[in-house]
Amino acid sequence: MKKIATRIWLLIFAFLVITVVFMYVLTDFLYQRLYVQDTEDTMIEVGLKLQTMYDSGKVADEFIAAIEQYNDYSNLNIFAVRNPRELSACVPFDIDYETLIGAEERLKLLSGKYVQKIGYEPRFDRQLISVVIPLVDQNRLEGIIYIYFPLAKISELANNEVILLFISAFIFLVVVSYLIYKGIRHIMRPLSELQNAVEQMSYGRYETRVPVNSRDEIGKLSSTFNKMAEAIQQEDEARKTFLATVSHELRTPISYVKGYSEAMQNGMITEQRKEETIQLIVREANRMERLTNELLQLARTENEQTNIVLYPIPLGETVREVQQILTHQAHKKNITLCVDVDDALIIQADEVKLKQIFINIIENAINYSYEGSKVEIIAAEHSGYAVITIKDYGIGIPQEDLSHVTERFYRVNKARSRADGGSGLGLSIVEQLVKQLQGKLEIDSVIEKGTIVKIQLPLMEE
Amino acid sequence: MKKWVFFIFSLLQIVWLAGCTEKSYEPIERDQEFIASFNIQEPSLDFIDEDGNTLATWVFDQAYSGAVLLGDDRILLYGHQIGAIDVYTISTGEKRYSKKVAIGTTNVYYDDSIQQFFIANSKNNTVTSFDQEGNALATQQIGNYPMSMTSYKDKLYIVNFKDTKLSVLNMKNLMIEQEWPIQKSSHGIAVLEETHELWIGGHGEGSSPNRTVKKYDLTTGKQHGEIEMPLMPVGLKKTNDTVFVVSHGHNILYAADFAGTIKWQQEVGANPFVVEQFKDYIVVAGYDDHTLHFIKDGQQDKTVDVGKGAFQLLVREEK
Repeated sequence: MKKIATRIWLLIFAFLVITVVFMYVLTDFLYQRLYVQDTEDTMIEVGLKLQTMYDSGKVADEFIAAIEQYNDYSNLNIFAVRNPRELSACVPFDIDYETLIGAEERLKLLSGKYVQKIGYEPRFDRQLISVVIPLVDQNRLEGIIYIYFPLAKISELANNEVILLFISAFIFLVVVSYLIYKGIRHIMRPLSELQNAVEQMSYGRYETRVPVNSRDEIGKLSSTFNKMAEAIQQEDEARKTFLATVSHELRTPISYVKGYSEAMQNGMITEQRKEETIQLIVREANRMERLTNELLQLARTENEQTNIVLYPIPLGETVREVQQILTHQAHKKNITLCVDVDDALIIQADEVKLKQIFINIIENAINYSYEGSKVEIIAAEHSGYAVITIKDYGIGIPQEDLSHVTERFYRVNKARSRADGGSGLGLSIVEQLVKQLQGKLEIDSVIEKGTIVKIQLPLMEE
Repeated sequence: MKKWVFFIFSLLQIVWLAGCTEKSYEPIERDQEFIASFNIQEPSLDFIDEDGNTLATWVFDQAYSGAVLLGDDRILLYGHQIGAIDVYTISTGEKRYSKKVAIGTTNVYYDDSIQQFFIANSKNNTVTSFDQEGNALATQQIGNYPMSMTSYKDKLYIVNFKDTKLSVLNMKNLMIEQEWPIQKSSHGIAVLEETHELWIGGHGEGSSPNRTVKKYDLTTGKQHGEIEMPLMPVGLKKTNDTVFVVSHGHNILYAADFAGTIKWQQEVGANPFVVEQFKDYIVVAGYDDHTLHFIKDGQQDKTVDVGKGAFQLLVREEK
């Protein structure tokens, strides 16, 4: 397959050739039209004027002489002929003689009209423009005035110029096509760089970037490519991290379960500690279960970004149901759940997903609150939306971590024991679900003071 | 659908059959005297009576280049590029017969005394004799491009147009009896029984036009002299006491006595090639002006317009 640059070059080259040929034809046409026509017009004008010198009867010697004399001073070649043989008078007879005028021309001349000819004349053995003016008296062709001008004089002149024209046209073509070739290569260079980069990308070298030197379409394409490459690179890194994290997260409880159960098998655990150990194993198995459930849920929410049917739900009821579910968990840490919901609020949502959101956030609030404190759940209407605010007075999140808390497996306190903390997926799930419910999630926090999570959800349309 | 096909087929057949029927022309009564002008630019025949009235015009769709009367009621048409001759009956206007001949017919001459006609052919340079019904009798190879023909007693005189000889043939068997040296491009021939001479005109060779009519001894072929009749005398007609000559180069009709002395001359027509006697008139056909000029007593009496390119005159008179 030819390169696109070659094809563009060929196209422009073809157009150039067409242009040159067209110019040549046009020049030739103009030459014919203007020069030859002009010469012919002059000849006709002179001929018709000379014709007035003839009166009637036989063409006299004086007339012939007068025309000859005129010829001496004219740049045209003019002569008068009265020899009937030259005038094709013997036309019905098969005469072996090349007459000056032919049978058809004779007929035209007999009717009083002049004859124009252009082309080779055997009599003069050269290319001519000629005009023949008749001298007619009562249907008799008594003679003619023959005026001619050698075309060679014009075309010989033109011939030199034609060679010059051809040479210059050729040089012009060569130079211009070279320049166009260079120009196209220059223009197309970023494109070929881009092509190379795409190739590198396809081999998995996501760090590949192309230099952006212009702001034209190709420049824009290059910078878009760079952005795309960056996004792919980030995604790739995120995927790697995620995989590493998942395997790490799973390995911890597995090693607990494995270690304790092996210890029990080997009789290293005393009878009175057995109960405690089994409890530990169950706890770790639960954690594993929960982790896999959450991973599954996350994967599912990512897949079902679209086609979610939303329906009207009374917000107050849902919040109270969640409160019910989490009351036990809150009591363990002696935390009060304060609910203040406007019962008139009916939102457009999916109940299961909505509950999941509230559970995840409120659980987090309980987990990171100090014992004996409280968690406030307030819901109110704000500029056409239902805004649910969940506020705790817990340990808070440092500012630098705030923007990362919704990332998968991100933990604020990396050193914290996994046994105490969650999986690191809760807020990720929340963010996905809120997005599905066409809402907005906002987290604000002050360290050691507490965290405020605001969820904005669309109200039912009236 | 079938009906239509049948209809179109029938129509085509009608057209085809109609095309088959021979074209006939306006007849001329048997006792009607006429002078006919054969015009070659758009082949046609104009029949004209003594008063200058056109009796009939026969327009041909074939490229005939000449015509000749065979006796009183037949006319033969030939063409240089046509491979046939056609004979028409004048009193009915219908074709009598058509005969295949070689392409290249330049002239046809009819001799009433033996009732045969002779075809000169320029392609194979022959002359062939035929009887009245178009049966070929004899053929003879002669000089280059035979054209002008006349006869006297039992001899046929043929001018070879692109050759320098005149062939004298025995009319019966077409045997060559004599060959006389003549000028190239000779044309126009007249027999003067009274002075035992043959007069020959011509165009002349190359760019130099011929100016004279040459006189030859009818028996020996020896040139007796020449008469200055410029320019390019090609049409000769002998009457009782005069030889009329038209020179097409200067459009002049000369009237000469048998000694060759010019009695009078007159400019007439445009590019005339032929002169004929018809009743009391001398008729000259102008090739370029498409006109017949009727001259009586040395004066132009009337003119008659004819078809384009009047080239031959055929005369039918009561004897």
